[in-house]
Amino acid sequence: MAIANTFVPARNTRAILIKWIVGLLVPVAVFTFVWSGEAIINNALLGVFGLGGVSDIAILVQIALFLVIFYATVIALAGYLVAADSGLRGMIEVWVDILVFVLVPLFLVISLGLIIGLALCAIIWPVYFFARRRIYKAINYTPPTPLLNLKVLSDEQRVELKNRAISGSFWFSVALAVVWLVVDLIFYVSGSLPTSLLIWVVIRTLLLPVAGYFLGRLAGVIALRRTIAAKSNGNDGNVSDGAGKRVRQRQLEKLSTTRVREEAKDLVPNDLPLRSTGAQRFFLILLVAFVLFYPVIDPFLFGFGTAGRLAGYGDAGYYVILALGLNIVVGFAGLLDLGYVAFFAIGAYTWGIFGSTQLTNVLNLAPINPHLLSALFWPMVIVAALVAALFGVLLGAPTLRLRGDYLAIVTLGFGEIVPIVFLELDQYTNGTNGIVGVHSPSFFGIDWSVITPVPYYYLILALIAFSIFVNVRLRDSRLGRAWIAIREDEIAAASSGVNLVTTKLFAFGTGAFFSGIAGAYHTAKLGGVSPDSFSFGDSVIFLAMVVIGGIGSIPGVIVGALAVYSINQFLLAQLDSLAADPSNPLFAVRNAIAHVFTGFTFGNIRNLIFGVILVVIMIYRPEGLIPSARRRRELHEVEEEGVEVGALGVVPGAPGFESEVRVE
Amino acid sequence: MTLFLQELVIGVTTGAIYALIALGYTMVYGIIELINFAHGDIFMIGTFVCVSIFAAFGITTSSTAPTGFALVGVLLITLLGAIAVCAVLGVVIERVAYRPLRNAPRLAPLISAIGVSLILEDVGKLWKGITFVSFPQIVPQIFYHIGPIVITSINILVLIVALVLMVGLQWLVTRTRTGRAMRAVAQDREAAALMGVNVNRIIAITFFIGAGLAGAAGLIYGLQFGSTIFYLGFTLGLFAFTAAVLGGIGNLVGAMLGGVLIGVIEALSTLIPDSNNGGIGLPHGGAAWHEAIIFVVLILILVFRPSGLLGQQTPEKV
Repeated sequence: MAIANTFVPARNTRAILIKWIVGLLVPVAVFTFVWSGEAIINNALLGVFGLGGVSDIAILVQIALFLVIFYATVIALAGYLVAADSGLRGMIEVWVDILVFVLVPLFLVISLGLIIGLALCAIIWPVYFFARRRIYKAINYTPPTPLLNLKVLSDEQRVELKNRAISGSFWFSVALAVVWLVVDLIFYVSGSLPTSLLIWVVIRTLLLPVAGYFLGRLAGVIALRRTIAAKSNGNDGNVSDGAGKRVRQRQLEKLSTTRVREEAKDLVPNDLPLRSTGAQRFFLILLVAFVLFYPVIDPFLFGFGTAGRLAGYGDAGYYVILALGLNIVVGFAGLLDLGYVAFFAIGAYTWGIFGSTQLTNVLNLAPINPHLLSALFWPMVIVAALVAALFGVLLGAPTLRLRGDYLAIVTLGFGEIVPIVFLELDQYTNGTNGIVGVHSPSFFGIDWSVITPVPYYYLILALIAFSIFVNVRLRDSRLGRAWIAIREDEIAAASSGVNLVTTKLFAFGTGAFFSGIAGAYHTAKLGGVSPDSFSFGDSVIFLAMVVIGGIGSIPGVIVGALAVYSINQFLLAQLDSLAADPSNPLFAVRNAIAHVFTGFTFGNIRNLIFGVILVVIMIYRPEGLIPSARRRRELHEVEEEGVEVGALGVVPGAPGFESEVRVE
Repeated sequence: MTLFLQELVIGVTTGAIYALIALGYTMVYGIIELINFAHGDIFMIGTFVCVSIFAAFGITTSSTAPTGFALVGVLLITLLGAIAVCAVLGVVIERVAYRPLRNAPRLAPLISAIGVSLILEDVGKLWKGITFVSFPQIVPQIFYHIGPIVITSINILVLIVALVLMVGLQWLVTRTRTGRAMRAVAQDREAAALMGVNVNRIIAITFFIGAGLAGAAGLIYGLQFGSTIFYLGFTLGLFAFTAAVLGGIGNLVGAMLGGVLIGVIEALSTLIPDSNNGGIGLPHGGAAWHEAIIFVVLILILVFRPSGLLGQQTPEKV
């Protein structure tokens, strides 16, 4: 009976089912058939059957894990979306959104590569938002607001919700299996599918619906955890309609305004389930799986040149760590630091001097066994970070009495002094030549020679994961709250018992700690240190990452670091090689400009373009790309002053509510 | 001792140029609390404008310099031209990159300023190329011997121009209606607006004057040092900003004092001997360390006077 209910959806569920199955199936099909999903699977399977393809067991396992996680997550996501959707928004609207935010990026990334594709999307998306606003205005349409749907669900509705999740996942995987079967049969007939893989086709077609059912149950549980449950107070659940209404009323009143405003997207049902926090968890799983298994799937996705791309992403990684560290000083504690590069240099030189023959030469000692030295990298990362942190505290100490921009200039001064010291004390640091021949790290006998960047990729992933974890924990700790209190108002914080001296020094020390980690990694990856890599310009770039991302916001800072890195070091550096290709539109642009300015190359105006991008981003998003929730609240405090927490005259979800609370 | 006095003369002259640039930083900071990173690059554009105006008069490094009234005329026109171009540039930058961010979080205009600085640097690069641009030496170099030290005519010219402009600025800020409005806006923007001051106009005027001074500094820098390059604004801007902070940011006299002080420290630091030759000193001599020495002095001064030399120690408003 229950099963029958599950598989034959109710009338009102059908529209939602169609909406999401089509919405998800199209991108998944594009990934599977147009891009590389099918190719990855077939290559892996051919390897398993010993018919060529991939033969390395380790790679096979990674590919299998990635694929299982990918498809399982998407199937469960389908169930969650069906369950979480309130059904107020129309199909076309959702499909257009998916088209612009998933399909367009997918096609751009396939054809132009990851970074250029995403950069183009960054241009397309604002245009789309603008156009959508205009169209809504023209046809006089206001999208329904999430607050109308804050529902307290009774037990029956919860069962219904779960069934919807199951049917969502189930029917989605059935549809996927059918489409896949048809496509594979076409491939088989046209001869591009080896006969031995037919057994896989059969297994898959049978397996997918079963997996869909169980993943749907899982998705149902996830969706249920985000509903507001009716408290039955020991009654056997038979709350009459009137009583149910009262329960709902009471519970909604308890939701404070702030919570409603911020958590409307947490709750199920929801108008924008794709943007709800539940769906964001699924996206996060997909992202983590993608990043984690990237080195093995990259050759399938983008073809040759994996090593070069991985090396580039490794570099982007230490910028992320630097931005996270600077975010502690600037974002959390509000201390403007214009000389952050100093600590980066200290971290880099710490491992540079220790990891090469420099130290033993200076001290006239016998050189340390290179194998031992390589293994010593691991403790030395921590040592380098601690040395940087120590200097952070030492250099922070004189600035304690300074305010605002006096602080900025003193940190700027340290940022200038430290590289000069490294440059001129050449008997210890080898001066302008820098330090060369730093040993690469070793890990249980695995060679980390610079030929393959894969170990460094995983090293930087681990370091980033560690940094994010520590940052999140610090932000929510007592110390983190003290930092934020200082940022908001030093005097108020001091009067509330925050020790300004230790709190500020902790901020400088912790911030420097992360740059020490990044510095040690930088040296290890390059195999040396050059004093040229630490200038005021670099400090400015780090600061730009933090501010563009959104100061104080951890996801914002990560995005900011990646965006600034890919614009500055990757995209703009590539313009000239792109313009060298006559088929590229940039070719004509360059020639046109070269008529006016002889000898023009894009390299000459790299900073100009970057500067324009900085100014434009700041003018249109002065709070950064992803502002932290807390700062957004502060900055819009004035506009929302009228509404006090919990002081609502109108119940959330009631008709008059919208005029009282603005929901973004 | 002779060497010391000689370096002092060089230091004061360089310092006067720093002071002129520092005035722009300090005025802008005083009025909208923004570190205008683009200011140094406006100065760089100023030097380029001078080279171009000279070229328009047919004066290059190889041509013979005009003499007498022609020389004075050319110098005056160049000075006014550089001031005008830079001043307009300053106002345009304020309008495009800073005014939309007037009420944004504090760091947003800072990043915008950095962006403008990068843009101006590349504009300079496109305009005059990536190599040093030589600056025509049109003022005849006459050496005056005062005791053992030598002062050139250019030194004197630089000092006179700088002094006249600084005195003029001081007069403008303290004695005129516009100056009073500027001080009012610096003190409290809302209250000034309530009293009928057109805040946007006053801020634009501040940028106009500050950037104009940078243009003037461009001319005398070129006369003194004889060459310029597109990244000049970066280093000099850094020193000038340091000078502004050293004197107490927002304080005009402080900026002048800070500029001269930095020039003098820079010149004197070249006297420190090279320790690699034995004896006391720093490796590679003081010249290599001058930037570090400037910042160490700055930090020491700020540790003991957290608001700079002449800055008012304002109690924090609660």
